[in-house]
Amino acid sequence: MSAPTYPSGTVRALLATPHVSDATRTALQARLDAPVAYEPQFLAPETFALLEAVAARLFPQPDRPDSPIAMAPGVDQRLTEGRADGWRYDALPPDREAYRLGLGGIQEIAQELFQTDFMGLNVEQQDAVIQALAGGTPPGTTWETLDAGRFFEEMLAELTETYYAHPLAQEEIGYVGMADLPKWSKIGLNEKEEREPSLSS
Amino acid sequence: MPDEEILEKGVLNPVQPEIQDPLLRTLLAEEPIATNTPQEQPQAVEPEADEVDCVVIGLGAGGAPLLARLAQAGLKVVALEAGPWHNPETDFATDEKAQDFLFWNDERLAAGGDPLAMGKNNSGTGVGGSTLHYTAYTPRPLPDDLHVRRDFGQGEDWPVSYEELEPYYNEVERFIGVSGPTPYPWGPARSQGYPLAPLPLNSAAQLMVRGAEKMGIKTSPAANAALSARYYQEGVGWREACTNRGFCQAGCSNGAKSSMDVTFIPLAVKHGADIRPNSFVTEIERDARGYVTGVVYTQNGEQKRQRCRHLFLCGGSVETPRLLLLNELALTSGQVGRNLMAHPGLQVWGTFADEVRPNKGIPGGLISQDTHRPKDADFIGGYLLQSIGVMPVTFAGQVARGRKLWGQPLRDYMRNFNHIAGINILGDCLPHANNFLELAEEKDARGLPKPRLHFTAQENEHRMNAHAEKIMRGIWEAAGATDIWSFQRYAHVIGTARMGRSGDDAVVDANGRAFDVPNLYISDNSTFPSALSVNPALTIMALSLRTADKFLESLK
Repeated sequence: MSAPTYPSGTVRALLATPHVSDATRTALQARLDAPVAYEPQFLAPETFALLEAVAARLFPQPDRPDSPIAMAPGVDQRLTEGRADGWRYDALPPDREAYRLGLGGIQEIAQELFQTDFMGLNVEQQDAVIQALAGGTPPGTTWETLDAGRFFEEMLAELTETYYAHPLAQEEIGYVGMADLPKWSKIGLNEKEEREPSLSS
Repeated sequence: MPDEEILEKGVLNPVQPEIQDPLLRTLLAEEPIATNTPQEQPQAVEPEADEVDCVVIGLGAGGAPLLARLAQAGLKVVALEAGPWHNPETDFATDEKAQDFLFWNDERLAAGGDPLAMGKNNSGTGVGGSTLHYTAYTPRPLPDDLHVRRDFGQGEDWPVSYEELEPYYNEVERFIGVSGPTPYPWGPARSQGYPLAPLPLNSAAQLMVRGAEKMGIKTSPAANAALSARYYQEGVGWREACTNRGFCQAGCSNGAKSSMDVTFIPLAVKHGADIRPNSFVTEIERDARGYVTGVVYTQNGEQKRQRCRHLFLCGGSVETPRLLLLNELALTSGQVGRNLMAHPGLQVWGTFADEVRPNKGIPGGLISQDTHRPKDADFIGGYLLQSIGVMPVTFAGQVARGRKLWGQPLRDYMRNFNHIAGINILGDCLPHANNFLELAEEKDARGLPKPRLHFTAQENEHRMNAHAEKIMRGIWEAAGATDIWSFQRYAHVIGTARMGRSGDDAVVDANGRAFDVPNLYISDNSTFPSALSVNPALTIMALSLRTADKFLESLK
């Protein structure tokens, strides 16, 4: 991981400045302050644990061993409330059903490939299971009726958007767009405001 | 879990979610959780005593301008908007997730070979409609955009000419405050320049200039409905200039972006328009002659009726045909829901050694219309080229979907965020029998059928995309980009209730009036006979004002 990033603490420090609006601060602080422990409301505990394990391979976070950015709670909350993002692939069943079928299908791939549950595999094996899913034609009867490529795309996109909405993930990619008050005046190539910190490797 | 599957039957987004999880169901049976979503109850609807002159459904680019015009003419008008009325300063965080309430998040089903992403991609809710999160990119169509069939023998011509629309383009640009280049480098000479100078070029635009110059492609700062200087707005007062916040695809927090809530809607309110937010229309009532007599809507969980002498349906290319189909209204031509078009919106992204910081400045900063009718084209119509900026969550989602990266490679790629810039096209699209909207059997939270959109890009769109991708890759290579990749996408759903000269093959006439229903008008991009090779918002507003004028003339 040699690509440039912002120093740790950059976003937290900016949140305390007048460069961030109240509405923005409230939204970002809530994510920073989210409790580590989460009790699933929609998914059964073992299903939720599986989703967490899959998310951990889609976003490996060896740099945050004690407090990885959590993605599975967002999925569980959305499914509990029945919220949508405005559309769904017609090829997939409703989201709740798609997640339950799809996560069951991931267990099935793990069994077919390694005769073990996903949670019992090492990370290389887990990645092989996900690669089979991402490839679009994984083994298992689930995938005869559930479109593997579309399911994977939907799950990955949802987790990705949750991950990069987190202030620490935004810090990781050098994004400080939340600190937009009073304005951005240096918007050209290689220009930055004083409040935009330098990147460090 | 997988061992105990219970198939959920067709309900997503339910008001009272059906619980599938056996464990959760057991827990809830013992201790139900409180739901704060208002429950819909069947109830008798008392007719309101008052009949108003006009009801306008939807307060986006199609509904707001004509609402103002009708109110200014002294008519009694009521506007029903499905979403809430926001306060930009306090409600619009600079955060993508915190603003997702601006999108039309009720689920639509996307079918066909190129399923259309909906929601944040193209549809909004709230007083202001999709203009609350449009990029404010407001190029005019060029005159020949309106007669593709005459020029190429395919597609459809508009029953309205550019010359008829031009005064309305002038008026809209002047009123809402469009920033842009004068003179404009493409198309016929204009009778009026842009009221404000162009916005400053951000880094993606500067890079595109660099690459395009080497390719011999002419570029210009684009026209944007965001203020490059303070501007006086009737009904609002002074609006402040754009702060280059780059959040145009979400809500603008300082009112510099000319969304309907800071332009036409205050004007309408000043002239007495009655705005009713959170009002979702379900039913359009008629008399024995087939004239519309009123609408039934749900406001904050309560069912209400509003009687009217004339109805203006301005819900956009999905909700407008959906309401017509649900109410079996204006269906004689057989065209409601058909001719669905979507703008090819192919994007090409590259990584640069320079620092780009793509979230700053107006996202659509630079335009080229050299590709409007390319000489070497093997397709019908044309497209425009545009530099693009981007917000991180949107970009990451596209990388996941379009680049198929996951795991460490996804995180590694995203760490280049500050060095990434994009170009995209916006191209014409031809109607095709396979592309249409229908009502699905699956129901939404209100118990109404969900819309299902079928879209499959055809040969012409494929050829246009291939032509454009070659040019955009060329520009980025010339500008020094590495790791160039393309993201296939389609934006702006258009054309599901088209206008035409005859009720045999069109839903409304050139004035927006339904052939079947004399007191029903439609004003939004569902009436576009062809997609145009530019963003639709400016033309929707221009047509909206023209529809209002034609209607007012008809009353005389």
